[in-house]
Amino acid sequence: MKNAASKYWRIPLDADRVKTPKGKIHILKERCKGCGFCIEYCPRDVLEFSDEFNEKAYHPPRVKDEKLCLCCHLCELVCPEYAIWSTEEKDEELHHP
Amino acid sequence: MAPRIGVYVCHCGGNISEVVDIQKVMESLEGPVDVVQIKDHEHICSEVGQKLILNDIKENKLDRVVIAACSPQFQGITFMKTMEHAGLSPYVLEMANIREQCSWPHYDYPQEATKKAIDLTKMSLAKARLDIPLEKKVIPIGKRVLIIGGGIAGIQAALDLGDAGFQVYLVEKDPSIGGKMAQLSKTFPTEDCAACILSPKMADVPNNPNIKLMTSTEVKDISGYIGNYQVTVTRKALYVDPDKCTCCDKCVEACPVTVPNEYDEGLTTRKAIYLPSPIAVPHSYILDDKTCLGLFPLACSKCKEVCEPNAIDYDVYPTEEKFTVDTIIVATGFDIYDARQKRVYGLGKYENVFNALEMERMLAYAGEGKPLKDIGNRIAFIQCVGSRDEQVEHEYCSRVCCMYATKLACLLNRERPGKEIYIFYTDLRAYGKGFEEYYKRAQSEGIKYIRGRVAEILEDPKTKKLTLRAEDTLSRKIIESEFNTVVLSVGLIPNEGTRHVAGLLGLSRSQDGFLKEAHLKFRPVDTLIEGVFLAGTVQGPKDIPDSVAQAGAASSRAISLMNKGVYEAEPITAQIDESICIGCGMCADVCAYKAIEITVVDAHTGKKTAVVNEFLCKGCGTCAATCRSGAADVIGVSDHQISKMIEVM
Repeated sequence: MKNAASKYWRIPLDADRVKTPKGKIHILKERCKGCGFCIEYCPRDVLEFSDEFNEKAYHPPRVKDEKLCLCCHLCELVCPEYAIWSTEEKDEELHHP
Repeated sequence: MAPRIGVYVCHCGGNISEVVDIQKVMESLEGPVDVVQIKDHEHICSEVGQKLILNDIKENKLDRVVIAACSPQFQGITFMKTMEHAGLSPYVLEMANIREQCSWPHYDYPQEATKKAIDLTKMSLAKARLDIPLEKKVIPIGKRVLIIGGGIAGIQAALDLGDAGFQVYLVEKDPSIGGKMAQLSKTFPTEDCAACILSPKMADVPNNPNIKLMTSTEVKDISGYIGNYQVTVTRKALYVDPDKCTCCDKCVEACPVTVPNEYDEGLTTRKAIYLPSPIAVPHSYILDDKTCLGLFPLACSKCKEVCEPNAIDYDVYPTEEKFTVDTIIVATGFDIYDARQKRVYGLGKYENVFNALEMERMLAYAGEGKPLKDIGNRIAFIQCVGSRDEQVEHEYCSRVCCMYATKLACLLNRERPGKEIYIFYTDLRAYGKGFEEYYKRAQSEGIKYIRGRVAEILEDPKTKKLTLRAEDTLSRKIIESEFNTVVLSVGLIPNEGTRHVAGLLGLSRSQDGFLKEAHLKFRPVDTLIEGVFLAGTVQGPKDIPDSVAQAGAASSRAISLMNKGVYEAEPITAQIDESICIGCGMCADVCAYKAIEITVVDAHTGKKTAVVNEFLCKGCGTCAATCRSGAADVIGVSDHQISKMIEVM
């Protein structure tokens, strides 16, 4: 519900009937060089820097709230190290937008 | 040559003469040679009185007239016309206000009132001696109108003006015209379906060759004056070509983003690419770039991939457009009061508390056979939420809530029998045509009206049922009862767009925040800015018939100005004595009408001076009062005249 006007506080009454794609994010922590492109460009603000260090002493990203991911693949397009990608969950489970 | 002045003192049918001693006033004015005649009259504004003035001007060769009567705001125009008939300039007429400023307030002190009346009349006399026979300035005026706001008032005004052959620019900030009325289920008191009566009107707008419809457009700047308003608008990028879009809905299926639907007050969802409403005009999908996953860089593009007519183009940007109009109608409408501010009612906290507009949408869905939610059998309406409430500084009555609550109650009752509906009201105001009958009918259908404000609503966290506590002020009993659903009858408030437009045009606002008309009774759709008119709820809360009527009135006022081809502007404006002006710019800073500019007049010496745009200037005199060197003065109300007025007091 990013950027939605704060005027509408209610969870829409038809929200359980609306299907949105559900993404799963895969991160290869050891490849990450901590450039932060995926965090910066994610349109749904799904990612953030983690506190942990990888072998190269960078902070790899971690998923804040995977429910928000709509599997747009933008993170995988911008990652210079091919360290992150998303796949669409094909189960027919519905979830709230 | 000395002026020849005629003085008239009006009795105003006793309004003045019962307090002020007219005879004494007349006697006190005798003496000066330039006062050729002094007369009194029962009603100088009557036809007989006006004829008397006309005759005297001819026979006694008067060239100045002083009338001691009511306020010039009230009858000034009447007498100015009389002067014109007599062949004199209307600006050699002076009116001493001995009614509103003398006999009425000093009713209990007749002697002092008489003294004051003498002073006031003598002052007018002193001013009249120095009056200049000014002529009205003529501005050519064309036939172009800007209408800001495409709700029912804006649509009606646009159609009226378009049909009359005027060039209309209708600017609407939302992607579709229709405004708040398009969201309603049915309308009171006739229970017509709102969409059914509105959509034909909406469809007429783009079909009218004289109307240029600009949706998703905001007014950025307005400058100029009547007959020459320069308008700059910003047109948002739509990303979907309305001419190519076939409304096949494939893009909506492909779009992964769901957000609350504004048309349904957030009760349903929409996608980032969507049709604004089923009755939207222009009927085309639009892409909401604020909620889209992103166009810079392009994140998704699923909608473009499925669009068969290739109507989607991400590479478009907002554009600016400039045009010139002669008059402007402001119809920016209202907003509903955000009832979350009244915390005792629990909106925003309890899921079964709705505001009335949400209930309108729910009923519209129920009417189509697709109810959004089971709202149970016991329903309560709470009136005056955000109106007539000093706590939230909205002292005014919103005028529509009593009737829309009655309408919603009737519709709910009829939708499925067996409901118990209560309306908690402060006072029931059924003032309009057919309203009282509708209220009676609602009562006979079993809607229960309880006089009393609800103190508190509590929710049972498990069942989500709501307990209302209120006092029935008629039977003096405390009511505590459980309900499934509570509807808050929220009031109407001025919206953000109105504030923006009022700032651009310099329109004044009433205490309640709505825009102020020039005169509440006689000029209800005019503003103090020439050529700018008001239509609909922008001027104050109104129901649909009143909004439509006012839109008609505003367009007819605009037509009567434009049809003449020329506009006669007031000649009382500021003037600058260039030989004294040092170009300090203080006058330009204080000018509320942006009528003064500082310009360099001599390139060699770099001498600057203030220049007055006499069409923008309203002759308010603020510049004259501010000017330190005495260069600014107002023609017709000069400093010299005012000093003379003070001298005779």
